[in-house]
Amino acid sequence: MYKYRSSKNSGSKSWVIQRITGIALVVFMIGHYILMHYHPDSGHTYEAVLSRMQYSWYRIIDLSFLVLGMYHGLNGVWNIFRDYNLKPWQNITILSLILILGIAFTAWGFTIIFSIPYVDSLSLSGN
Amino acid sequence: MQTIDNQVENKKKIKTFDQKEWIKENLSYKKDSGSWAWILHRITGIALIAYLFLHIYSLSPLTEGKAAFNSKMEQFTTPFFMVLEWFLFAFVLFHALNGIRIVIVDWADGAKYHKPLYRLSWIVGIILFLGMGFLMFSYEIGVLTK
Repeated sequence: MYKYRSSKNSGSKSWVIQRITGIALVVFMIGHYILMHYHPDSGHTYEAVLSRMQYSWYRIIDLSFLVLGMYHGLNGVWNIFRDYNLKPWQNITILSLILILGIAFTAWGFTIIFSIPYVDSLSLSGN
Repeated sequence: MQTIDNQVENKKKIKTFDQKEWIKENLSYKKDSGSWAWILHRITGIALIAYLFLHIYSLSPLTEGKAAFNSKMEQFTTPFFMVLEWFLFAFVLFHALNGIRIVIVDWADGAKYHKPLYRLSWIVGIILFLGMGFLMFSYEIGVLTK
């Protein structure tokens, strides 16, 4: 019935998810740009990052942004390769690379966010 | 017997995608706004995922505390990197605005007016790009106001 195992999957779910994550990323991106540029220091100093990271909800938003961006971006890259009718070994190699890079860099991002300490408000305002 | 032979012959004649010639093949197509949007969406998309990796790497000094992070950030607030950052915004703008256009085409009957939408996304994009340039170079590093 199906020539290749992968052809059972029409890709329609991935297509819908790509649009939904895309819309979400536009919203996140607007917030990101406002936060990073409303003041010259807001995007480029440790103090600004530290004070934002005192809010757990901000960490959650930041990590969701990372996961959504990584998923949307790498799914997009995979979709480009799928357009070019590659041989199975090429597809397997590319998909493995995409998955390893995606998981490794997402994990790196998580460790960076979690490494930022919670400090008490007195020492924060002292800066 | 002959018709079966013809069918086999016809199947051989059907042009299949040639991996080695794909650049030539892509370039040979006649391009209108939709195909340019498709090409630019791919190029900006690849650039943005590459930037996301770079972004995680460049923010990694956050784990080493204030001194390490601030000295790294000083590199990125030089005019050269600010200009790169400005062009990064152009890539983000194109991908976001064209992405919105794609969603409208797919889900809101936008196929009827996808060309005006493409032109509109360029107009909005250029305005926002220039606005960001003004914000970055006048307010943030004071190149224009000094």
